[in-house]
Amino acid sequence: MSRLNKKPSSCRIARNNTMHESADPGPNLHDVADHLIAAPAAKTSEAFNELAACLRQAIAKGGCNAAAAALRRAIVPTLDYTRLQSLQRIRKQLRGKAVAGRAAIKLAILGSFTTKQLADFIDLFLFAAGVEANIFEGEYGVFRQDIFDPHSELHGFGPKVLFLATTWRDLTQHPGYASEASDISKVVEAEFAEWAGLWQRAHQDMNCQIIQNNFTLPSWRPFANHETRHPGSPGRYIALVNQRLAEAAPSYVNIHDVDFLASLAGRSRWDDPRFYHNAKLPCDPECLVDYAHSVASIVAAQLGLAKKCLVLDLDNTLWGGVIGDDGLGGIRLGQGDPAGEAFLEFQKYVQSLRRRGVLLAVCSKNEHQVAWEVFEKHPETALRHDDFSCFMANWNDKASNLRAIAQQLNIGLDSLVFIDDNPAERAIVRQLVPEVAVPEMPDDVTGWVRTIEQHRYFQVLSVGTEDFQRTAYYQADQARREIQSSSTDIETFLRSLEMKARIGPIDAATLERSVQLIHRSNQFNLTTRRHSVADISRILQDSDWITRTISLADRFGDNGLISVLMACVRGNALEIDTWLMSCRVLKRGVEQFLLNHLCFLARERGLSVLRGEYIPTPKNALVREHYAGLGFTKIGESADGTTRWELPLTPEWKPLTAFIQEDNTYGKAEK
Amino acid sequence: MEKLRNDVQQIFRDVFGDDQLVLTDTMTAADVPGWDSLGHLNLIIAMEKRFGIKFATAEISRLKDEGQNVGTLLALVETKRG
Repeated sequence: MSRLNKKPSSCRIARNNTMHESADPGPNLHDVADHLIAAPAAKTSEAFNELAACLRQAIAKGGCNAAAAALRRAIVPTLDYTRLQSLQRIRKQLRGKAVAGRAAIKLAILGSFTTKQLADFIDLFLFAAGVEANIFEGEYGVFRQDIFDPHSELHGFGPKVLFLATTWRDLTQHPGYASEASDISKVVEAEFAEWAGLWQRAHQDMNCQIIQNNFTLPSWRPFANHETRHPGSPGRYIALVNQRLAEAAPSYVNIHDVDFLASLAGRSRWDDPRFYHNAKLPCDPECLVDYAHSVASIVAAQLGLAKKCLVLDLDNTLWGGVIGDDGLGGIRLGQGDPAGEAFLEFQKYVQSLRRRGVLLAVCSKNEHQVAWEVFEKHPETALRHDDFSCFMANWNDKASNLRAIAQQLNIGLDSLVFIDDNPAERAIVRQLVPEVAVPEMPDDVTGWVRTIEQHRYFQVLSVGTEDFQRTAYYQADQARREIQSSSTDIETFLRSLEMKARIGPIDAATLERSVQLIHRSNQFNLTTRRHSVADISRILQDSDWITRTISLADRFGDNGLISVLMACVRGNALEIDTWLMSCRVLKRGVEQFLLNHLCFLARERGLSVLRGEYIPTPKNALVREHYAGLGFTKIGESADGTTRWELPLTPEWKPLTAFIQEDNTYGKAEK
Repeated sequence: MEKLRNDVQQIFRDVFGDDQLVLTDTMTAADVPGWDSLGHLNLIIAMEKRFGIKFATAEISRLKDEGQNVGTLLALVETKRG
C-alpha cells in the first residue's frame, strides 16, 4: 500500500518520455490516467477534467510522449461519446508528434451514413492499442463506385483493411410481403451475390482484408409477433441474409456482427432516427462508442494485438470469501446461495473462454496447497486444475508473479489481462506492470462477465482445432520440462522426446492456423510481417514463392502447427520473407530441421544462396542472432537495426544436426 | 437561469475545448470556433445527457437557422427542463 501513497516518482516519467522531452514533466500523467480508470462514478467527471487539463498542459510544454502514453491508458470503451470526443481532440494534437505505436494500418471506411464520428473513435481505440491508423473515409453513400472504379481515390489510397459500414438501409433486395417461403432463398442468394461481388472486386484490385457489417434488425415489425415466421417479413429476411453472410463469406472477409451490438444496446435505443435524419448517424451517438471499439478490436486482432491469457485472483474473485480463513466448507461457491451461484457462473464463463482457446492462469496471495485443494476437492467448482496453464499461489507480490506467468507461458506481459476484486491490488499492478491490462471491476461479481466482454480483450478472427487444444499443449510442455531437468544433456533430452514433424506448403487445411500464427507471433518472428489472408492467397498462387508449415508431435503429445516460413525466389537466391515459430517449441531443433529442408528445396530449384533478414521490434530480440546460429553470414545492417544474412549453398554445406524425424503421415488419420 | 447559463457554458467549454469561452445571448455559431455541424451535434448530445432532455428532430436543425443564437438555445433548454 505504501507505494500507492507515495508521490509519483520521477522514474516513470523518464520511462515514458524520450530523451529530448523537457525536464519538467508536471504531474505524473500515468497516475492521473490511472486515477480516472479507478474513479467511482460520482468522481469520474472531476477525474476526467483533471486528466484532460493535464494532457493539454503536457502537450503545450512539449511532453508529447508522456501525454500519448497516458492517453492510451485512459481510452477505454466505458467512456461516453462526449468524453471520447474530448480525447479525440487531444489525440489529434499528438498526431505525428509522439512516438509511433507498435503497428500501423491503412484503413478505408466506406459507408452510407456519416462515418466521421465512427472513424474518429475507431482511430482513437486503435491509438489506445498502439496502432497508428491512416484512415480513408469514402464520400457518403458511394461505396460501390469507390470499389468498382479503378481510378477512384480509394484505389489510390490502397487500404490494407476495408470496412464496409453498411446498415439495413443498404440492403439491395426486398422480398415482397406476400412472398412464399419457396421464393425467399433466391432473394437471399441475390442479396449475397451483390455483396460477394463487391468483396471480390475489392480483394482482387486492392488486395485488402474486408470487414463487412451484417445488417441490424430494425426496431419496428410490420408483421408484429409473426415477423420471425412470415416468409416475406423484413425481419425474417434480414436474419436469413445475416446467416448467409456468416456461412458463406470467404476467409478474407470478417463479418462484423453489428446486429449483436444493436441487440445488446437495445434496438429501440440503437435506432434513434433523430440522429439519422439530422446528421445521418447510423445509431444513437452513445452507441457509436461500442460500435467503434468493436471494429477497432477486429483490426487490432488482425495485427496480432489481441490478449492471450486471463490471469485470475482467487479469494473473492473465483469464489466468495477467503479460503485460508473460511476453509473448503466456508467459501461461497455453488448452488443454494446467491453469491455462491454468481461466483460459479463467473467460473463457467471463464471456463468457456478457456475452451475456446484463451489461456487461464492464477495469481493469488495464498498458501499454494490450500488454494490448489479447492480445484481438487471442492464439490461444486467448475474450474479444475487442468483449466489453468500456470498456477501462482504464493506470498510474492502480484507484479512479480505476473512477470513469472508471462515468462513461463512464453508470452508478452501485454498479452495478459488481470482480474482482481481488490482495488488496491489492481492499482499496484497498473503501476508496477503497466503493460498488463487491468480492467476496473464492479463491486458485485454479477457485473464481471459484462465488464470483461465490454473490453473485447480476446477478440478472435477465426477458430481452429489448435485453439481447442491450447491448454493441453501447455500441459504437455510441463511434462517435457520435467524430463528436461532430469536429463543430463540436451542431446539426450531431445532424443528422448521422439519428435516427429509434418512439413508441407500452406494449403487449405493449414491456411487458417498459419494466418493466426502470422498475426499473433511476436517473439520468434524474424520480420513480423502481418500478411493478410488476401496477401497469402496471392502468394500461394505465385510459383516464385515457397511456403512451409511444420506440425510437431512428440511422445508427450501433439504440439500442432507451430512454424510458418515463406520465401521468394529472386535470381539465384531464395529470400526468406517470413520465418516464425510458436515459443512453445523453443530450443527443440525445429529451426535446424526447417533450414535443412529449405536448403534441400533451394538446391532442388538450382538456387545457390539463402538470404534472410531480421527486423527488430520491441518483442523479437530472442531471434536477433537466429541466422548467425544457423551459420549465415551478416551482409548488411540498417540504421533501424535491421540485419541481412546470407548462406551460400556450396557443396561443402552440410545439413545441421536435428533430432526430428520427418513423418508426413502423423495426425492425418484424425482429420 | 444563471445556474443554467453556467452549466451550458461549461458544456460549450468541454465540447469546443476552450476553457476561456464565455457565453453571451447574442452569440451564434459563427462566433464560436468549432461550432460547425459536427460541433452542433456534439453540443446537442452533451446537453441531452447533462439535463436529461430530448430535442425533437426539427428543433435540432432549427437551432442553426437565421436568427437563432445562444439566447434562444438557453430558452429552449429552460422550457424543456420544465
